[in-house]
Amino acid sequence: MKFLPLFWSGIWRRPGRTALIFFQVSVAFALFGMLQGMKTGVDHAAAAARADLLIVHSRLSFLAASLPAGSLDQITSVPGVELVVPVDIFGATYQKPTQGLGVVAISLVKDWPSAFTFTIAPEHLAAFQKLRTAALVRYELAEKYGWKIGDRIPLMSHTAQTDGSTDWAFDIVGTFSDSDVGSGRDNILINLAYLEEARFLGKGTIQHFNVAISDPKQAAAVSDEIDRRFANSSQETKTESLLELAQQQAQEIGDMNFLIRAIVGAALAALLFATASMMMQSIRERRVELAVLKAVGFTDRTVFLLILAEALLVCVAAGAFGLALATALLPIAGMFVVGLSMPKIVIAIGLGLAIVVALISAAVPAVQAARLNVATALANS
Amino acid sequence: MNFVRQFFGVLRVDLSGAAQRTGSVLTIIIGVTCAVGVLVSMLAMGIGMQRQATENVRSDRVILSSTGVRDIQSSILRDAAVSARDLPGIKKDAKGAPIVIFTSLIPIEAHRRLTGTRTFFPLMGTTANLIQYRPEIRITGGHLFQPGLHELIASNPCRRQFTGFEIGDRRSIRGIDWTIVGHFEEGHALQCVVYTDVDVLMSTFNRNTYNQVSVMLQSPAAFDTFRDALQANPTLHLEAQHEREAAVEDFKQLKGILDFASYFVGTIMAIGATLGAVNSLYAIVDARRRELGTLRAIGFGSGAVVASILCESLLFSLPGALLGGALAWVFFNGLSASPFGYNFQLAVTPSLALIGIAWALGMGLAGGLLPALRAARVPLATALRAA
Repeated sequence: MKFLPLFWSGIWRRPGRTALIFFQVSVAFALFGMLQGMKTGVDHAAAAARADLLIVHSRLSFLAASLPAGSLDQITSVPGVELVVPVDIFGATYQKPTQGLGVVAISLVKDWPSAFTFTIAPEHLAAFQKLRTAALVRYELAEKYGWKIGDRIPLMSHTAQTDGSTDWAFDIVGTFSDSDVGSGRDNILINLAYLEEARFLGKGTIQHFNVAISDPKQAAAVSDEIDRRFANSSQETKTESLLELAQQQAQEIGDMNFLIRAIVGAALAALLFATASMMMQSIRERRVELAVLKAVGFTDRTVFLLILAEALLVCVAAGAFGLALATALLPIAGMFVVGLSMPKIVIAIGLGLAIVVALISAAVPAVQAARLNVATALANS
Repeated sequence: MNFVRQFFGVLRVDLSGAAQRTGSVLTIIIGVTCAVGVLVSMLAMGIGMQRQATENVRSDRVILSSTGVRDIQSSILRDAAVSARDLPGIKKDAKGAPIVIFTSLIPIEAHRRLTGTRTFFPLMGTTANLIQYRPEIRITGGHLFQPGLHELIASNPCRRQFTGFEIGDRRSIRGIDWTIVGHFEEGHALQCVVYTDVDVLMSTFNRNTYNQVSVMLQSPAAFDTFRDALQANPTLHLEAQHEREAAVEDFKQLKGILDFASYFVGTIMAIGATLGAVNSLYAIVDARRRELGTLRAIGFGSGAVVASILCESLLFSLPGALLGGALAWVFFNGLSASPFGYNFQLAVTPSLALIGIAWALGMGLAGGLLPALRAARVPLATALRAA
């Protein structure tokens, strides 16, 4: 500890240079934190998705094919199934063709929210179940368009009403939030019974069933049993848990792994070179001071450690600052993934990398300082 | 003494100083190389995607969809589709029939060959005159699907990327066996597309509306006549778009995300590289204090000093730009990427190289400014007494 003032003064010998190095290291680690944090964060969020909620959809395709709503009883009778909720989905636009949103029509059976990942205030839920044309709007979407409770929103869709019109209007009765990472942000919930009555085509068909099961460990067995019951029919199903779906989505982003590694690698390589060259220069300028230290009895080893400690302190402090910055910025950088947070493992790896960068970049200068010949250094001054 | 001669005088003195400071110079070059390399490689994704989407686009083809909606959401009644065949400006084939195709699209699940992960491919039902509308389609094996049969033809990328697309392979869709009867190539397109007869597809899925009507015009110039005639008939509820517009609209959002990410990461890397450059240039300038002081003492203006040091900074950043662009080309050009189910090859183009050079010069200018001002402001007495 008695050396603290010594290397502290070494760090502040050229405050300008130290500040620049500090910011350069911070910037590199902020970048590392954001990219790696996004990747790992998505993986973690996917791993946290619910295993006890299953989605039963047509085997053909997740989005485009439909199932008969009448399959409900067959699914309900599978052992381990607690609740089955029919869901239909259609796309609509608000005011402009570019402002698309997803309309999720839910059959309002008893306890239906327990088969979803939504959080809905009790009074909003009550209002939703009372009015046939009611809609619950995802909180973020309501903010985006400035919608308020009581507003009647006009939507355009390819789903025609019985009178041939493709214009729909819903009354906003509340908002909801969704903890599922895979769900779209621009979604509204409506009553399937109303859609069923009002639409011209597709009556009696739905897009998927949400199924709540009693034991998440049985998810695979229950899924297989449901699919087995529809096997070889014209309406073959595919049942997947939200966990499986989220992992598939995370994998798609995982295709970018190589690119992320290349970027982080380039940033760290540039950084390593910059810090090493700066440290060397600093040693060159301080030859006389280091020689004096040695002349008054500092061993080569102490001088070596002194230089290393200096680099470590700057790099780790800057790395920590950069990672803190990344943690603050991650929600902005990850705006396409809802509820993303910085995983602790990324912080730990980042700090480890900062130590490695410091040790590698300071190794050569520290050896130079240790080998410094007192007589020559002082003679040349 | 004129400014130009002063400028080159200072530049020479300074560059000679730089030669002794290889560490500092290399720091600038490597920093700029990495920053430019990363920016160019990331932008290459957006360019690659654009190239892929617009590869086979022709200016005499027009896409019709329902007013206000696109792709799978668009829904065109049979009557409206048939009336569209009579619009003016449409090219006729040898038998005098208008070259118009009706398409219905359904995304179907496929599994990747290597990983087994699930993605989707578009199963496009089209009319039999598909080849007239898309002459770039080249059948490379088997034959075209026959109307009325449950036959599929798959593009070669399907076979390369996914399982179950060999000729003769069967696939159960809605409890019916469909057979792959042919393979085709569409230019250099990397996207998996499967075609079948539109009427068969629609009856299988109980559909009675098409998603798109595609029209080949007599000439690109006929577009206005065609669109005016279309708009004159509002009962059709149809909207016309050039094929290019429709293609660009499809991937605009993802390209926006990719470009945003590219510039975001590129800016962060550039800030890092600029900070490194500032540090290095300070070191170079400091090492030449005495020489710069001498030049000032014999009458060199501070303007010449500032200009020459900025110029030096730009000179150091240029090799980084070229190296960064070259590395991006070597490592990433032609690399296949498939984020979010799109398939395309990264493309490093000359225009990206120019962006890289501009980016590097920006870093050089920003990095050189403070050191240049310091060099110009060094008090003569201190500078000459130093060292």
